Amino acid sequence: MKAAEVIPRNSLFWLLIVQFLVILPHLQYLPPWIIVLWLGCTWWRLRIFRMCAAYPNGWVKALLMLSTGLAIYVSHGTLIGLDAGAVLLMTAFILKTLEMRNRRDALIVIFLGFFAVVTGYLFDSGVLAAVYSLLPITALLAGMIGLYQNDSAGYRAPLRLAGSLLLQALPLMLVLFVFFPRLAPLWGMPQPAEQAVSGLAESMSPGEMVELSQSSELAFRVTFDGQLPAHENLYWRAITFERFDGQRWARSSNSYLAQEPKWEPQGEPLSYNIIIQPNGRSWLFSLDVPKIQADDARMMADFHLERRRPVDRALMYRTVSWPDSRREPSATSASLAASLQLPRQGNPRTRIWAEELRRSEPDPERLVQVLLRHFNQQPYVYTLKPLPVGENIVDDFLFQTRSGFCIHYAGAMTFILRAAGIPARVVGGYQGGELNPAGNYLSIHQFDAHAWVEYWLPERGWISIDPTFQVAPERIRTGLQQAMVQEQSFLEGDPLALHRYSGINWLNELRMAWDNVNYGWQRWVLNYQGDEQKQILQKWLGSFELRWDWLGIGLVLVLAVLSGSLALLLFKPWRSTPDLVQRLFLRYEKLLAGQGIVRQKHEGARAFAERAAQVLPDQAQAIRQFTGIYECTRYSGEPASPREMQQAFKALRDALFSRNHAKDRIH
Amino acid sequence: MRAKLEACLSTANQVFLGKEKQVRLAVACLLARGHLLLEDLPGMGKTTLSHTLAKVMGLDFQRIQFTSDLLPGDILGTSIFDKDVGRFVFHSGPIFAELILADEINRATPKTQSALLEAMEEGQVTIEGATRALPEPFFVIATQNPASQSGTFVLPESQLDRFLMRLSLGYPARAAEKALLLGESRRDLLPCLEPVFDHAGLAAIQEEVAAVNVSDALADYLLRLVEATRTHPQFAWGISPRGSLALIAATRSWAYMAGRDYAIPEDVQVVLPAVAGHRLRERADYSGSGDSSLVQWLLREVPVL
Repeated sequence: MKAAEVIPRNSLFWLLIVQFLVILPHLQYLPPWIIVLWLGCTWWRLRIFRMCAAYPNGWVKALLMLSTGLAIYVSHGTLIGLDAGAVLLMTAFILKTLEMRNRRDALIVIFLGFFAVVTGYLFDSGVLAAVYSLLPITALLAGMIGLYQNDSAGYRAPLRLAGSLLLQALPLMLVLFVFFPRLAPLWGMPQPAEQAVSGLAESMSPGEMVELSQSSELAFRVTFDGQLPAHENLYWRAITFERFDGQRWARSSNSYLAQEPKWEPQGEPLSYNIIIQPNGRSWLFSLDVPKIQADDARMMADFHLERRRPVDRALMYRTVSWPDSRREPSATSASLAASLQLPRQGNPRTRIWAEELRRSEPDPERLVQVLLRHFNQQPYVYTLKPLPVGENIVDDFLFQTRSGFCIHYAGAMTFILRAAGIPARVVGGYQGGELNPAGNYLSIHQFDAHAWVEYWLPERGWISIDPTFQVAPERIRTGLQQAMVQEQSFLEGDPLALHRYSGINWLNELRMAWDNVNYGWQRWVLNYQGDEQKQILQKWLGSFELRWDWLGIGLVLVLAVLSGSLALLLFKPWRSTPDLVQRLFLRYEKLLAGQGIVRQKHEGARAFAERAAQVLPDQAQAIRQFTGIYECTRYSGEPASPREMQQAFKALRDALFSRNHAKDRIH
Repeated sequence: MRAKLEACLSTANQVFLGKEKQVRLAVACLLARGHLLLEDLPGMGKTTLSHTLAKVMGLDFQRIQFTSDLLPGDILGTSIFDKDVGRFVFHSGPIFAELILADEINRATPKTQSALLEAMEEGQVTIEGATRALPEPFFVIATQNPASQSGTFVLPESQLDRFLMRLSLGYPARAAEKALLLGESRRDLLPCLEPVFDHAGLAAIQEEVAAVNVSDALADYLLRLVEATRTHPQFAWGISPRGSLALIAATRSWAYMAGRDYAIPEDVQVVLPAVAGHRLRERADYSGSGDSSLVQWLLREVPVL
C-alpha cells in the first residue's frame, strides 16, 4: 500500500501554509538565516512536487543538518537551553518538510508543528499570541485531515472540517480550563534569555537607572480594593541599597536576612492585588508596610518582600499595607551599622560639608530639613541627561554639575546623612503609575523606576524622604512624562513607544483599552491557577469543601462518562449487532479462536468453517451445521429460528468441550 | 433442471479436459446472459470451448475471424441487388446466430469492433437504417491473444465493460494433456455431442438464476468491494454500476450452479477475478493489461462479514 501514503496535493498545500503560520510568531527571536533556510526549503519542496527536483540524498541531508547545527552554535553559543533549543526545533521543523515523502513523514512534521506552537507560549503568552495560535492549529489540523483524503477533496474541505473540530473542542477546553488542577511543573520551566532578567538590578549605578527609564516595558499592574491613593504617595518598594563603593549602590546583606523587623500596623490599611510581569528577580513590590497573603513569600529585614523562587512567569499576589506604621523604632547599633557604611575615602568636600552641617544642626530632623531645602533652593536640575562626573561622583554632583535624577539625589543625600552620622539607605523601586480609567487599575512601567531615601531616628524608626520631590515635584505628582516635557527626553530612544503619544487622545484611549484587555487576560486567564482557581471554584461550589484530589477524580470520572457516552452515540453498538444471529456468530468466532482458529477478515463464514473443519475433524459436523444455519439466516432471506441457531451453537460448544476434556485426559 | 445442468457440465468437461473451473465459469457467464471474453495464447482451446458450449446448450454457432480488413458489413450483412426480383435483398451476416465466436477480436479496426457493441448490449443491429432483432438467446464469446500485440487495436474500456467475464484458460495439467494426446481428436468428438438444453429450457434456467436471493448482507459486501475500487488510490478508476450489476448477476449464476437459491460471499469471491479483472487497472500501469494483483488485494483486504 505504498501508493496510498503519498502526500496528497491539498495536504501539501496546507503543510506549507502551516509552516508559514507556525514560524511567523517565532521570527522575533529567530536568527535571520532561518528565513533563508525556510524559503530555500519551501522552494525545493515545491520543485520536488512539480517533479523538477529530486529529494535530497543522504549526504545533502547530513550536510544540511551539520551546517544548521553549526550555525545555531555560532549564533547562540550553545545547542541547549530554551533559545537555542527553540531554534533547533524550528530548523528541524523546516528541514523535515524537505524529506517529507509519505504520510508518516508528514505526520512528523505536523506533530513538530504542534510542539512548535506550544513552544511559542513560552516566549509570548499574551492575548494576541493565544488568539493567533488558533490559526496554525487550525491549519495543522487541516493538513492532518488532508493527509487522509485524496486530491479530489479540494483545499477547503479539510479546513472546514478542522474548523468544526476546533469548535467542537471548545466546550471541552472551557471545562478543562475551569476545573483542571494546575500542577506545578516537576522541573524548572525554561525562560527565554531576553525576558529572563529585567527591571531593577541587585546593584545600580546611575547609568543603569537611565537605561531603565528609557524602557516602556510593563513592570506590574495594581488593582486597589477601595479608593486609589494619591500619585505622590505611591512608593513601590522593591529592595534597599545599603552598600556604597564610591560608584555603585548595592544590596546589603541585611536585605537577604529573612527576619521580619519589628513594626506595628497603624492607621488605615490599603489592600490591593498586584500582577507582576516575569522579571527573573525574587523580590516583590509593595507599598510600606506590607503583609502578603502568600505561602512562598515573606518580609525581609529591610521591609521588602522576597519570594522563594524568582518570578519567572506572571505572578499575582494580594497585599495589605499600613502606610502610617512605625518601622523598627528600636534597633541595635549592630543592625544599623550597615546604614552608616561609607567608603574609606573619596568625596572629601561632601564629607567636610556634612561635618559642618552636623555641627550647625545637631538635631537630625532639622538637618534633613536643611538638606531638602538645599535641594529645593539651589539650582539643581532634574534631567535624564546628567552631565558627566569624575571619580568623586557625589562631590561632582553636589558642587559642580548639579544635574541628575532620582538615584543621584537619593545617593547624594544618603551619603551626606551617613557622613553626618545618621543611619540612612537608598530604597529602590517604582513611583507612581498610570491609571487605566477603563479597568480602574494602575500600570507601572520600567520608566517609573525610582530611588528615594529612608533614614532612622530613635523612637521614630525609619522615615522615608524623597529629595527628588524638592527638585522636580511634578515627577512625583504626575509622573516622568510630565517632568520631562521641557527636556523632551521621555522615551527618547524608542520612537515607536505608544506612551510618547499619549497627547493624541484617541491613540491613548486605544492604548488604554488594549492594556485593559491584556490585564484581563493576565488576571482571569493566565493567573487562573493555584489559590485563585481554588477560590473561584469554592465560590461556585459554596460551602462544599474543595479538595484537589476529589476534583481530579471527579474530572476523570466526568470525562470518562462523557467519552463513554460519546462512543456509545457514535458507534451505536446496539445497532451494529442488531440480532441474535450476529451475536451468536461473534461468540462462535470467539469459541473457535479459543481453539486457535481465527477468522481472517477476507474469509466468509463457509470458507472459515471449512478451514475449521479440517483442523477439528471430530467437530466438523457441528461446525458445518451451525455455519449452514447462519448462512441460511443471513443470506437466504428465509431466516432460521433463533432457537435452532442457539441449539446448533450449544451443540458445537459441547462438542468442543468434550474435545478439551479428551485432550486433558490424554495429558 | 439442476440435473440437466450437471449433465451439461460433465459433457463439456469430457470434451474440454482438466479445466472444470473455467468451464463452470463460462457456463455461469452464459446463464447470467453475459458475454465472455477469452484471453489466451493460440491453441489453448478457445474455439473448442466455445463450440462445445454451443453444442451442449443447443445453440447454433457462428465463427467470425476478425482481421484488420474486416468491415462492419462483413459481420452484420449487406443488401445485394437481386436482378431476378429486381430489388435489394438483405443477406444477413454471421452475427445472426445464437452464439458467436469473435476470434481475435482485437485484430479488427475500432469501426468493426463497434459494430459488435450495439449487438452485444442491445441484442439488435441497425443496418441501412433498419433495426433488426438478433436471435434470442444471443451470446458473444470473443477471444484475444494477449501476447502478440503488433497490428492490433486494443479493446476500449467501453467494450471491455460489456463483457461480463474475462477468462484465461491456461495450460492444461499434465494428466489432462496426456489424456488429450492419447484420446480422440476433439474435433471429431464435437459432432457427436447431444444438446442438453433446448431454447425453452435455457430460458427457464436463466429465469431461475435471476431469482436467486441476494440478501442485504451480501449486497453490502459487494458494495464494500466496489467502493474499495472507487476510493483507494491505487485503482486508476473504480468499477462502474454496470460492473456491479455484472458482479451480482455472475454471483447469482454461480450460486445457482452450486445448488443454492441464495448467494453467499464465497460465490462473490469465486467470480470476482473473472468479472472484475478486466474492469480494473492499476494507476501506475499504463500498458492496460490489467493485473490480477488488484483483485487479489480486494479479496484479501475487504472484510467479508
